[in-house]
Formats: sequence, structure tokens, C-alpha cells
Amino acid sequence: MSLKKRRSFSDMMDDYFQNIEQWMEEFEGPLAERPSWNLRNRTLEPLRETAITPTEVLITVDLPFTTKGNIKVKPAGKNTLEVSAKMNRVVKLQELGLTHYEGEFHKYHSYLRIPVAVNMDKMAVRYKKGLVEIHLPRTR
Amino acid sequence: MPSAATLIFGFPDVGLVGVIAASYLVEELNLEEIAYIESEMLPPLVVLHDGLPHSSIRIFAGEKIVLTISEVPVPVEMVHQVMNALMKWGESKNVKMMISLSGIPLEDRQDATELKCFAAASNPEALKLAQDKNIEPLTEGYIVGPQAIMLQHASNTGTPALALLGQCFYNYPDPEAAAEVLKNLANIVDIKVDVSKLLQKGEEIRLRARDVMKRTQEEMGKMKKGQEMDIPIYVS
Repeated sequence: MSLKKRRSFSDMMDDYFQNIEQWMEEFEGPLAERPSWNLRNRTLEPLRETAITPTEVLITVDLPFTTKGNIKVKPAGKNTLEVSAKMNRVVKLQELGLTHYEGEFHKYHSYLRIPVAVNMDKMAVRYKKGLVEIHLPRTR
Repeated sequence: MPSAATLIFGFPDVGLVGVIAASYLVEELNLEEIAYIESEMLPPLVVLHDGLPHSSIRIFAGEKIVLTISEVPVPVEMVHQVMNALMKWGESKNVKMMISLSGIPLEDRQDATELKCFAAASNPEALKLAQDKNIEPLTEGYIVGPQAIMLQHASNTGTPALALLGQCFYNYPDPEAAAEVLKNLANIVDIKVDVSKLLQKGEEIRLRARDVMKRTQEEMGKMKKGQEMDIPIYVS
């Protein structure tokens, strides 16, 4: 008989906040009135752009201070992508010009909602000059 | 303030080319702040530097240039008032020319190995100046934003004006494009600008400028900036 491991209150709270963050990123988009950084997760939200053509969805994400090997792009559901990228160096919030907060960032993280139906299995990813290009063929 | 200076504008726009170039000029040429804009019509915002408040739109001066820079995007409803106030102020100081620093979006910008800089001119004299400096003129199309207001105003008053537009990313800060625009500006105004430090700090600038870029995207959308990529109807 297997025992189901009981989750701690703090794990549940972490999941709760993560779900809220994912929901906000997916549905409010990048222009919402919230910071582009997350001290709890030590992540920065990258700039991104989505273009829809008749045949594909093309997403680009700007990821300065990263290298190709440290970037992960994976589906997080039928119409959501999760992009994360470890940065080549730790960036302190004070370096970015906010001297009244303390914290540092280790990676970029973002959920991207795909606005039309796509074939996630045929996703192609390209990296150039710190910019990731994600090609997703549209399904009919 | 220098006599017969060139009045330069660097506002947040596509690729943040203008504001990146302008802020680099302030640092590189050690320009001195000489004036700023204060208006009840602007958003209730100050920028803190070294613990002291500053207007988001400031004017700096050096030996040959007077440079206006906005650290945040100018709300679309205010662009006319801000530009008109700055240009009239410049004319009252007898500026000899006006130059706006900005960008022109390039598709698949990440694949470009060389970036071009184009010029839009207010009159034949300014157009010839750009051509003499081997800057390709924009001969047809739409210009949207502060540079459009500058070109129209300068065309009416006869002050020569140029919009220098470097090929750039539309939605991402583009220090390389800013460097290209600065090289051409230096050639026109006859000043020395070493852009090597700007290029070295490229990734840092891209990282730091994300939030200003996001805010600028909002204003560009309201301004219908994408119209610059529209095919114009031909009216001779």
C-alpha cells in the first residue's frame, strides 16, 4: 500500500501563488501594471512578441545575458508555453536601478499564451544574439 | 548654451533607439543639464537620480549641441504640446538645425549583420545634407511620432531638420541601432562619439530597458506607430 505524502502548508501556498502568477501572465499579458521581476522566485520577466501568420505562430523572447544551452521552452498545456532561461550571471535589483529593494535574479521565466490552435509537437526553436525564436505550426 | 547649436531629440520609440542614443551622448560628451519641462499636463511623475527629483523630460547642452531627452514615453495626447514647446524654445535660442534620433523596424532584425541608417528631411537643404553624408533618404512612406511633428514644423518654419532612423527591433531595446544612428549623427554635426562602450554595454542596456520598452509599446500602440509600415497611397 502506498502512502500519499502529505504536502506542507508552505508547499500549498507556493503552488497557489504560482498558479495565480501563471494566470496573470497568460491572461493579463505583459503590459499589466505589475513589476517585471519576482523576488520570491528570483526571476525576471523577459520582453516577448507574438506574431500570427496564416501558417504559424512566431514568438520571440529577448533574453540578454543568456546562452543557448541554458534556455528551456516547453508546453504547459494545450495553448501555453513556458520559457525559462538561466542567466550567465546573477543580477542584483540594485544594479537595475531600484536601490530601495533588495534581491537578486538568476533566470528569466515566463508563461506565454498561444492565441490560436497550434501543433506543439512540431515546435521549432532557434536562438540568435540572445533572442529566442519559437515557431509553432498552426492546426486547421 | 552654445550659439547656432543643433537641437537633438531622443525620445522613447521603436527599439528605444532615440533614448538609448541620447542618454549615451549625455554620458559620453559630459553634457550639462540646462533646462527641463514642467507641466500640469504631464503624468504626475519625477525621476530620482542621486536622491533628487528630476523632470522626465530634460534638456542638456554641450559645445555644439542641445539635446532633449525623455526618460519615459511621452503620452500620445501630449506629444504635440511637448514637441511644439521644445521646438519654439529652441528657435528662441536660434538653433540652426533640428535632428530627431529614432529607429525604423527591420523584419528578422536578429539576422541582420549590418544596420542601415535612413534620413527623413524637412526641406531640400536638409535632404542634400543627408545625401552628402551618404545617408540614404526615406523618399516615400509614413513617419509617426515626435519626429513627424518636428519634420512638419520645421518644414513650415524653414529650419532644416532631419529624422535619423536606424534599422532596429520594433519591440526590443536595440543598442546596436542606437550606435549606428550616433555614428551618422556625429558625421552630420561634426562631433566625436566613440560608440564602443555603448556596444560593450549592449546586453546590460537590453536588460535594464525592459520596463521602459514595455511602457513605450503601450504608447506606440495608441499612436498607431505600425502605420509606418503601411504602403502609402500615391498622391503626386
